[in-house]
Amino acid sequence: MIPFEYRRADDVSAAVDTVARNPTASFLGGGTNLVDHLKLGVATPEHLVDVSRLPLDDIEPGPDGGLRIGATARNSDTAADPDVRSRYPVLAEALLSGASGQLRNLATVGGNLLQRTRCAYFQDVTTPCNKREPGTGCSALEGYQRYHAILGASRHCVATHPSDMAVAMVALDATVHVQGPNGSRSLPAEELHRLPGDEPERDTVLEHGELITAVELPPLPFAANSAYRKVRDRASYAFALVSVAAALDVDDAGTVRDVRIAFGGLAHKPWRAHRAEAALRGGPATDDRAARAAEAELENAEPLAGNAFKIPMARGALTATLRRLSPLPTTR
Amino acid sequence: MTSTVAGRTTAATANGVGSSPARPDGTRKVRGEFAYSSDLWHEDMLWGATLRSPHPHARITGVDVSAAVAVPGVHAVLTHGDVPGLNRYGLEHPDQPVLADDVVRYRGEPVAVVAADHPETAQRAMKLIEVTYDELEPVTDAEDAVHGDVAELHPGGNVVRHAPIRRGEQTPQADVVVTGRYEVGMQDQAFLGPESGLAVPDGHGGVDLYVATQWLHVDQQQIVAALGLTPEQVRLTLAGVGGAFGGREDLSMQIHASLLALYTGKPVKMVYNREESFYGHVHRHPATMYYEHGATRDGRLVHVTARIYLDGGAYASSTGAVVGNAATLGVGPYDVPNVSIDCWGTYTNNPPCGAMRGFGAVQAAFGYESQMDKLADACGLSPTEIRRRNAMSEGTVMPTGQTVDSAAPVAELLDRLEGMPLPQPGSTADLRTLPGGVSNTTHGEGVVRGVGYAVGIKNICFSEGFDDYSTARVRLAAVGGQPAVTVQTAAAEVGQGLVTILQQIIRTELGVEQVTILPMDTSIGSAGSTSASRQSYMTGGAVRAAALKVRGALLSHAATRLSRTTAELHLDGGKLASVADGVLADLVDVLGEAEFDETVEWRHRPTEALDPETGRGNAHVQYGFAAHRAVVDVDTELGLVKVVSLDCVQDVGKALNPQAVVGQIQGGSAQGLGLAVMEEIQTEGGVIRNPSFTDYLIPTVLDMPPMNIDVLELADPHAPYGLRGVGEPPTISSTPAIVAAIRAATGKELLRVPVRPDHIV
Repeated sequence: MIPFEYRRADDVSAAVDTVARNPTASFLGGGTNLVDHLKLGVATPEHLVDVSRLPLDDIEPGPDGGLRIGATARNSDTAADPDVRSRYPVLAEALLSGASGQLRNLATVGGNLLQRTRCAYFQDVTTPCNKREPGTGCSALEGYQRYHAILGASRHCVATHPSDMAVAMVALDATVHVQGPNGSRSLPAEELHRLPGDEPERDTVLEHGELITAVELPPLPFAANSAYRKVRDRASYAFALVSVAAALDVDDAGTVRDVRIAFGGLAHKPWRAHRAEAALRGGPATDDRAARAAEAELENAEPLAGNAFKIPMARGALTATLRRLSPLPTTR
Repeated sequence: MTSTVAGRTTAATANGVGSSPARPDGTRKVRGEFAYSSDLWHEDMLWGATLRSPHPHARITGVDVSAAVAVPGVHAVLTHGDVPGLNRYGLEHPDQPVLADDVVRYRGEPVAVVAADHPETAQRAMKLIEVTYDELEPVTDAEDAVHGDVAELHPGGNVVRHAPIRRGEQTPQADVVVTGRYEVGMQDQAFLGPESGLAVPDGHGGVDLYVATQWLHVDQQQIVAALGLTPEQVRLTLAGVGGAFGGREDLSMQIHASLLALYTGKPVKMVYNREESFYGHVHRHPATMYYEHGATRDGRLVHVTARIYLDGGAYASSTGAVVGNAATLGVGPYDVPNVSIDCWGTYTNNPPCGAMRGFGAVQAAFGYESQMDKLADACGLSPTEIRRRNAMSEGTVMPTGQTVDSAAPVAELLDRLEGMPLPQPGSTADLRTLPGGVSNTTHGEGVVRGVGYAVGIKNICFSEGFDDYSTARVRLAAVGGQPAVTVQTAAAEVGQGLVTILQQIIRTELGVEQVTILPMDTSIGSAGSTSASRQSYMTGGAVRAAALKVRGALLSHAATRLSRTTAELHLDGGKLASVADGVLADLVDVLGEAEFDETVEWRHRPTEALDPETGRGNAHVQYGFAAHRAVVDVDTELGLVKVVSLDCVQDVGKALNPQAVVGQIQGGSAQGLGLAVMEEIQTEGGVIRNPSFTDYLIPTVLDMPPMNIDVLELADPHAPYGLRGVGEPPTISSTPAIVAAIRAATGKELLRVPVRPDHIV
């Protein structure tokens, strides 16, 4: 282990200032990811600024009738929040499908958004990895690819984003509030995470020193009819092979008025499925149309040798999720 | 209650054989107060760390430790040149360097060790050791290692052992022939307590080592050879063991810590973290198996032909014995007139593989049981019917020519399984009962149910002519006004509950309630390994034999004092009694100041080596059998499997402790479930890709269903109390039963375990 300085932040601006001024400093949230990386040698910050006790843990109605979730709200608390459970069940389900109870008690909303990939090569400091050490190469291209991307990857990186929560937030059109050395800004959750391109070391568009302070969910009445499904190798405590977050609005005739879909486990970022949404709007929410919507979304998928199974799995996951949300009788 | 054993009247005190008393270590373990080896502590102790090879195959061209030695707080940095004795160790062949000298053969092989005043100091110093390597092409395929044109990793080639088994006609004709190629992934023992121990120098050139292990004396032999010391100078005591399952049969930190302790003159503690633990112990051999089964039209086996390749990884470990098991048990619990099996165990540059619960029988069972289902299909029979038609029984002759001379109730196991009620169709109300569980993957739609059966066979105790024995000392005296017994053995308690069993045996044989099991150490003779399902049989047998000697001496003493014959006396509930007159005296009064102290070295009946050409020989001392029925629900849309029920019938000869028997069956079945659907060490070019419990998946309570368990007690007349080893058989049939059920649900071939969602969608 490498020695580092630890400081507990008292207020947001001081925390931002401390990290922004020092390129070797990092924010520390619940520590459920960064501490692992310190142990593995993946992350080597010299200064840790603990933001987990900043007074940012409120979950309260937003100004426009949505819901504002503070960045230091713990995953367990967010999942248990009555508004989250009733108005945005997809988010509660996504949170509860992640990690274990103990980890969820520590993990924060802000930290979860910034969770780094579980790619085996990223975590193994003895192997080349462009995300960890830019320019060294991508070991996964010729390696173990089971958990890797089939959408939006580059020849520099085929890693996937591991968060479940972020997939739900992207589906819900959430807004991420950020404070940085030059003031605050807001951006859509969908734009927070990047595709790897030729800079896979950058997971998000945030600049060094920018701190997530809150996530705001818009008022989206039909989000009450939403769900998260996660396909994985064991029943709990495992990362997604494929996951789906969806919210569905169907009229009395069974026609899809509106729909929100995002996939996890397929890309370097939570994958908002705009093509699938467009394919579904205006027609009945049948299994058949759901499968075709998935296929439209996955048309440009470029699976690796070791993860082509994700295409039928994603199709099946979307179909199953929409079936649950649809009032139509099953038409399998 | 009295019973007659070997012609002598014995007494059963409460909590004797056949009951399920509380474990002496149970409360402390549940309360978190039990001291495991990682809790060891000594004033002034140093912390050891191990530098391991980052390459699966490389030549070492230079090692520079100067920067590491210069770190303040570092007391020693040692490399192969500092090993005073033989720089090789190994369970069967001393082929593994204590510290690598010229070549490293697997990623994670120890190259240097450091002792420092703080674990972080040791880690930091370790990273300053400069090792230069010339990387070599790794050999990573077991079949290539045997037949291919690849580098020889050890003198004499890459075959650790080839075991052929030949019986009957070698070119038989059968009406129905089915073939298959099957693979078993590399499973980990996944014990919870990582490798750890404390070496304390004695100031006279010797060392005391406290360590979590499975076989103190074989550890001692290997340490002694590496340190160039005598057994009297290297004394081992068992520290608290957090699970083993075979993974502690090979050495890990034992020699390293002893070496550092002797070099620095200070106690040295070593504890692996979870990642290092994956590099620090052997795993279950991955297998590739080619099977051909021939049968008559009505489903009676004519022949089995098989080639089995077991990847032993970089060093031999127990590969030879694993090969012997896979070969001799390669047709399963069936009567097969014509057999031709070839089993190879190989060297590669993969992680070393060795002992794990089931030991060769697990791999073969996935092959032969998959084949039996295929044959059932081809013959138009049910999976249970084809097994019944070919089931072995007492008197069956094994492919080795050995006659099975005690109960082999294969057909009865199947009958009883079939008689158990099947689970009701899943309720969609409780997500936990559905594939994917609380991941919310299905609410019941698209779910198909399947049922599968499997039977397994395992040899109990050490085989192939090994001089298998255990040593026990039993001492009876009055302590504080009560009769009390102390039991001393070197048998490793690894969590299985042997300490409870030994107490029960004493209570039954001597009628004394208060029994103390002394710490296990090398001040007494070997007990053999806690493996091969053998300790109840072997150390139980030795303790019983020593107790009988104590009883004989005590009754002679009493008979003289009371002017009676020994034949009329017996012990019961702390009393001396006669058949005719009932209680004669309190045992404590009979004892007075006397002390009865007996040590026995106890053996099972001898076994024979296998003929190297034909595989013939009475190689095994006892066979154990278990059968499973698995019921699975498969979400065919997403490829997810929920094992709904996993029922087991096992013959245990005699349940010395019924609760412990059920625990073994549940645990073994869960380990088999893990291999069936999730557990695999992912290796790539010899490198482990998932060395953590986040990425190496073991079943949780949400994956493991409740079990119906039926225990048969068909006594083996050759074994103490008629018992049959319990620990391994349930691991063997669990895996193929689950896979058979998934096949039944999906129609997929499923030729490899673990079965993953991507094999089903």
